[in-house]
Amino acid sequence: MNRSDRKAKTKGTEALGETYILRLFMAGDEPNSKQARENLEQLQKTHLKGPHKKEFVDVLEDFQIALENNVLITPCLILVYPLPKATVFGNLSDTEKVLAALRLT
Amino acid sequence: MAKRTPNEGTKIPATKARELPKVATGITGLDDVLHGGFPAGRTTLVSGGPGTGKTIVGMEFLYRNAVNGEPGIFVTFEERAEALRKNTLSLGWDLAPLEKDGKFFLFGAHVDPQAAISGDFNVKGLLAIVEGKAKSMGARRIVIDAVDVLMRLFDNPARERNELYALHDWLNDHEMTAVLTLKTSAGGDTSSRYEFLDYMTDCVIQLDQRVVEQVLTRRMRVIKYRGSSYIHKEHPFIIADNGVNIIPVSTVELQHKALGAKVSTGHPRLDTMLDGGYRRASTILISGTGGTGKTTLANTFVEAACERGEKVLYINFEESQEAMVSGMLSAGIDLRPALRDGKLRLMTTVPEAMGAEEHLFQAVRVIEAFRPDHVVLEAMSSCNRMGTKQAAYEYLVRLVNTCKEKGLMMILTNQTAGFKNENEITGMDMSSIIDTVIFVRFIDIGGEINRMLMILKSRGQKSVNQYREFLITDHGIDVRDVYVGVGGVLTGAARQEQEAREVLQARRKRLEIELREQDIKQKRAVMEAEIARSRAELETAEAELKALQLEEGLVQEGRDIRGRMRGEDANSLRLKKRVPRRKGRGTGRKEGAK
Repeated sequence: MNRSDRKAKTKGTEALGETYILRLFMAGDEPNSKQARENLEQLQKTHLKGPHKKEFVDVLEDFQIALENNVLITPCLILVYPLPKATVFGNLSDTEKVLAALRLT
Repeated sequence: MAKRTPNEGTKIPATKARELPKVATGITGLDDVLHGGFPAGRTTLVSGGPGTGKTIVGMEFLYRNAVNGEPGIFVTFEERAEALRKNTLSLGWDLAPLEKDGKFFLFGAHVDPQAAISGDFNVKGLLAIVEGKAKSMGARRIVIDAVDVLMRLFDNPARERNELYALHDWLNDHEMTAVLTLKTSAGGDTSSRYEFLDYMTDCVIQLDQRVVEQVLTRRMRVIKYRGSSYIHKEHPFIIADNGVNIIPVSTVELQHKALGAKVSTGHPRLDTMLDGGYRRASTILISGTGGTGKTTLANTFVEAACERGEKVLYINFEESQEAMVSGMLSAGIDLRPALRDGKLRLMTTVPEAMGAEEHLFQAVRVIEAFRPDHVVLEAMSSCNRMGTKQAAYEYLVRLVNTCKEKGLMMILTNQTAGFKNENEITGMDMSSIIDTVIFVRFIDIGGEINRMLMILKSRGQKSVNQYREFLITDHGIDVRDVYVGVGGVLTGAARQEQEAREVLQARRKRLEIELREQDIKQKRAVMEAEIARSRAELETAEAELKALQLEEGLVQEGRDIRGRMRGEDANSLRLKKRVPRRKGRGTGRKEGAK
């Protein structure tokens, strides 16, 4: 954890030199989903320095997408690219965990 | 509204008070247990350990409904959809055409185990998918298989609880007839962790599986059913090639058909003993030690019944068809024509081959297909080898009940170790459902072994309650007249000996009686002489007494005369005293009149 803390400040999407694709599945304006969106936008400022793409999907509006992506849990953040795919459940309040999952540490 | 189908769910509050709307499960026996099916528009919990058949119960419910045109959604958190499709196909249920028609949706809902968790979340995604699908298909049936797998994600009992309540509310709001399956570990605490589910859901079914003495036994039990009656018992079930088969343990006494007309036992003497023969729809137990002729007795009936054109199913756990047929031939009973004409059907299996449920299921299936008039089971005693005594007992009780419900006559044979234990003779503790008990035994008299037959019980008919001699000849059985003598019942050569002995004894007795009579005569003479002497003595004494009394009388007379002379005063005094007493009474009356 100490290691990741230190690296988190220096490393980011920049370091990877690739376009990040992140997809956030939400359930309307349900509190956790709203919070996840805010947290992701915050994270974008601090860690996503390089090229990246964000997509927001409302499962209540399009269940078919949820089905195709097997999204049962909301909010759910999926790192679509670069592979391998990574998934984070929750309102993204624990930044450390999110960064670790997105391989941004 | 009048044409309410079980699919209408809870939409009709007017009828709610009268009867809960239900959805037929289509699972053999389950609708009988649940008195109609799952509660419509409500949630049923099916819980049980691994491999108890929860998934199949859920799957069969949806499949049967889908086949009947009622679409359903199956959400599985545990098995891969593809694997489940294959397993389902092995039960003869092809989901592919139903899925194509939009009657079935199999959703392999897999939660990525690698997923990181950051902060709070819920299962809105799942609900969105289910809702979207349900809407597009018009589905009102849903099974959520292994809901515990999803719940494990929350890693917190309070959150699990909240999420399950949310799920439950959602299902109710959408009037889904839902089945949640929950895995409980064999002896673990998962059951207490999810105990609230029992309160939350409207109907709770527990499945159980045990291996008792190498035999697998499956059980199901309805724990609760809000607003509905159900059969409160543990019901055995099996998973056969056509799905789940629950054999309801019902309190069927009231459904039993009344004992029917008499049918000949195949032997005229036995008919006489039973006041005409066995009765249709009754259960007859032929009990006795080994080799006493139980099988022969049963087959005497079988041969006669088949000759009359009646159909008999013979369930034999003791010997093969060939062995039984040839054995009976030597006793003059030819079963071959009956077999050839399809009047007699033999089911021969080893009791150990499968569990009691499976045995029962197979027997019931054959009974339903073959439609016999009578069923013979050989032998009750071998049923114990199906597993436990309890399993055997349940098998027998349920088979007997099935026959009774269908109005079939049933003959059970039972090999007993002895003839002292009445419980054993009358067949375990089944005597309440057995109508007639015939007991056959050997009796050893004078170095000769003979067979005896007795009717211990015969419900609803007169019967002879004495032992009869029972013979097996090479042309069938024979029942001989009873011999009732002082020494009890006798058979064979001993009977003749006994008869001769009786004659001698009778003669001896007559002599003895004569002797006794003479003796008594003498004694009486002595006594009479004695009486005469005593009487004479008494008369003398009486005369003496009279003389004394006379003497005393004379003395008394004199005393009286003197006394009377002296007693004038005394008498007048008595008169004087009486007068004032009358006066007093007079005044008293006056006072009273005032």
